[in-house]
Amino acid sequence: MAGPAPTAREGARRIVSTLESAGVTLVATVPDTWIGWLAGELRRSERLRVVDVAREEEAVAVACGASLAGGRGLVLIQNAGLLNCGAVIASLVRLYRIPCFLLVSYRGDERDPIYYHAPKGAATEPTLAAWGIRHARAAGPDRVGDQVRQGLTWIDEAQAPFALLFSAEDLA
Amino acid sequence: MTTLRRAWLYGLVAELEPGRDLLVAGLGANARYLPHLPIRVPNFALCDAMGAAIPLALGMALARPDRHVVVLEGDGSLLMNLGTLASVGAARAANLTVLIFENRHYESSGGQPLPAVDVDFAAVARAARFPTADRLDGAVALGAALRKAREAGPALFVLPTAYDAGEAIPPYSERPDEIRLKWNRALGKESSWQRNG
Repeated sequence: MAGPAPTAREGARRIVSTLESAGVTLVATVPDTWIGWLAGELRRSERLRVVDVAREEEAVAVACGASLAGGRGLVLIQNAGLLNCGAVIASLVRLYRIPCFLLVSYRGDERDPIYYHAPKGAATEPTLAAWGIRHARAAGPDRVGDQVRQGLTWIDEAQAPFALLFSAEDLA
Repeated sequence: MTTLRRAWLYGLVAELEPGRDLLVAGLGANARYLPHLPIRVPNFALCDAMGAAIPLALGMALARPDRHVVVLEGDGSLLMNLGTLASVGAARAANLTVLIFENRHYESSGGQPLPAVDVDFAAVARAARFPTADRLDGAVALGAALRKAREAGPALFVLPTAYDAGEAIPPYSERPDEIRLKWNRALGKESSWQRNG
């Protein structure tokens, strides 16, 4: 179920302006409904290139490649796709210590009580913890920009991945 | 007709252009040979992350339109991530050339055969809107192929490669930190995390 698109997208706009000011140049993405709302704002940016890929592991590699070559890449995927990414995070991001920001739509948590999203919602944070990936839940449209900025700083310092899990209400 | 991997690699090294080309190798034999070749361009080798070399190179190509990225990948690795050719085609990464070493074996894991079907990777690339895609007949064809790729990319070339179970492929000899550090130095990085090594 897609649900209605939020009429206000202040949170989404804050994410975009933060990415622009932080020097992010490329966003590699596989869509879902919420990501579609955010990507609509991202594609309006003249400073960000949105790269549509076929699968989430690719998004991680594309973002890493951009960062290795002097740009700054970011991954925008759903938690279903995040769960696909254990190997590439371990064998590329971790092994080569590449800063990697994972902006993840968090389907199936208590804010998204849909039966077919619920199992991956239940698996997401335990999986991130098992993989040793630092992560946070977005705390609403007023805070999400600051959380993105802090996460981007953290990945540079730690040379490690970080996941920010967002819900539809964080984009409103 | 197949060609020895070393012949492909030495032919390629002779054609790479310093100041223009960047080289990426997927895991396995190509990555293991890389430190032993007289390569004059920044290069980055994967020692794991099967299937990630082409999207990694795509990200590099999009970040550096001033450079041409050549990526070496095996046929087994491409099969693991065949959809990435659609991503490359959609991104219209004109400065990306993909070289597929086709030996129909998972060489690094003991020489097991690939799924028993002959996939025409050049045809798949053409279907994914690569303006240049072909099957090469020997290393002597690499020079002309790369010239064409630089004019009309993204490009994909299939390199029919001899499989020799007894080939003495050197072991991995560089650790990931060393690979990244050499890459950063060769590319002359500017961002803080790269400066810090």
